[in-house]
Amino acid sequence: MPAKIEVKESPKRGILGRIISGNVGALVLGVKYFLDPNRFTLMYPHEYIKLNTGYRGFIVLIYDKCIGCGSCARICPTRAMRMLFLPQKEGERAKKKYPVINYNRCIFCGYCVDICPTEALYHVPYHDIVYYNMNDLILTLDEFQKEPEYATAKEGIPVRYIFDERRGLVKVKAQEPPQGPESGAAPTASPAPAPQQAQAAQKQGESTSKPSEGGGSA
Amino acid sequence: MVDMVTPYEIGHGILRYIIFYPPVYQFVIIPGLIAALVVAIFIIWFERKAAARVQMRYGPYEISPRTGGATQLIADLIRYSFQEIIVPRTVDAVIYFAAPVAAVILSLLPLDAMPLTTNPAFWPIPMDYSLLLAVALMTLSPIFVMAMAWASNNKFSVIGGVRESFIVTAYELVAVLSMLSVAAAMSTYNLVDIVQAQSSGLWFGLLDPLAFLTAFIATLMTTSGFPFEIPDSESEIVAGPYTEYTGLMYGLDMGAAYIKRWVFSVLMALIFLGGWAPYVPGPGFVLGYLVPSLIVSVKALVIMAIMSFLRAVYGRYRIDQALGIGWEILVPLALAAIGIGFAEAYFHVYAYMGVMALAS
Repeated sequence: MPAKIEVKESPKRGILGRIISGNVGALVLGVKYFLDPNRFTLMYPHEYIKLNTGYRGFIVLIYDKCIGCGSCARICPTRAMRMLFLPQKEGERAKKKYPVINYNRCIFCGYCVDICPTEALYHVPYHDIVYYNMNDLILTLDEFQKEPEYATAKEGIPVRYIFDERRGLVKVKAQEPPQGPESGAAPTASPAPAPQQAQAAQKQGESTSKPSEGGGSA
Repeated sequence: MVDMVTPYEIGHGILRYIIFYPPVYQFVIIPGLIAALVVAIFIIWFERKAAARVQMRYGPYEISPRTGGATQLIADLIRYSFQEIIVPRTVDAVIYFAAPVAAVILSLLPLDAMPLTTNPAFWPIPMDYSLLLAVALMTLSPIFVMAMAWASNNKFSVIGGVRESFIVTAYELVAVLSMLSVAAAMSTYNLVDIVQAQSSGLWFGLLDPLAFLTAFIATLMTTSGFPFEIPDSESEIVAGPYTEYTGLMYGLDMGAAYIKRWVFSVLMALIFLGGWAPYVPGPGFVLGYLVPSLIVSVKALVIMAIMSFLRAVYGRYRIDQALGIGWEILVPLALAAIGIGFAEAYFHVYAYMGVMALAS
């Protein structure tokens, strides 16, 4: 049910009435918030915002889907993505080029994910990842296929901000099991990558084995 | 012949004649320097936490979550005291250093004019005109703020000093008038008699709320606490009279403002909230001096906490708005409070109550 719209009309008062009612109203409001505070500071390392699946976070490549067309490298507005000859499997000649990314330049616009004709790229819904030096930000093809480790989720609890009609913005705990296979903007031509992506917040250990797994099912 | 002096007597002598020697005790220990420092630390912490609660934040927290970040203030204090003191070349060095020290000492001085017990042995001075004396001593310290501003030789300092002089002229008048209205009501300047007259539970703040209100607002304004820090407003003039001060000297300046507010609060607790009123001072220096001084301090602390809570509610006034409120609204209100005091004296509201209190 939508909230009723009320137009509050201030009753006509003299200057004395306005002074008294204004001061008393401000004090009452202050005391109300003092006794019952509505604090929504994000205690960042202990809490983190649980982002939705459509969030443009770090980008991961699914090797087996990539056809090496180079659209991602061409659309990239900051030239963060480049196509390289990198023969990865043994005994296989380097026939096609594969994209690698330089996070020094990436602005997370998501054009590469949008333009990919085979949906070989997808976003992970987090972005607060720290590297020790700037060389680490230039990923190799191997690193580009792994979902980056989400260290914040290990020690923090997920929260969400919702808008309450009475109290305004409030911070609530995000529900523990994240949304399952349904995912709106995530690239799910095959159902395999999406659950992995959703589970990535919890299990970090298997992130190494994930790309090959996804490739096998695809 | 000389008897052996027992350790008990030595200890008793030290307690009675050095620590509880009234001028030293009141100036340095309980309502004085040490208590004021503790109160300042607590009040700054409370101010930050209260404003944060109202403004939907946490305030100091992360340094020790269990105590709500209380040790943050100790850390800040240590940082202030070990900062380098930078003295600009253009300042008038003698006054530059002397003025903050004099301001702190003179802000503490009115405490020696206030009684904290009924026992004449624990009065620092004879108390016959103590209210007048305390109020008069309170108006001494702002001149040193202006001296600081002038000696700093800086545009912002001079602007801040001029603002300070405007504010102090307007609001100390209000504070003095509303605090003296109690003298009109009880026809005495003796603070002991004033407190004794309130021991029936009918505090002067309840009998003459107008005087309490005007004294409260005047104290807020004249001690330039947080939302009303017109002389040293950070967003307009850098730090007002304290612009050229660093490190411990700046700490002294800030401390002087807090001590002044504390002293005003102690006097307001004595006048309007009945001092040590529910308690009747007993014999000896524990029951007769320590306990009543603690009661007065707690009452003053409550006043200060309410004052610092107002930081979260009010905004800062412009200098012309503040002066307009002072001269056009508060001075007439303070005069009306004095009128109420005279009316109470005319109808003998306190005459028989005071007799009853003194007889009991």
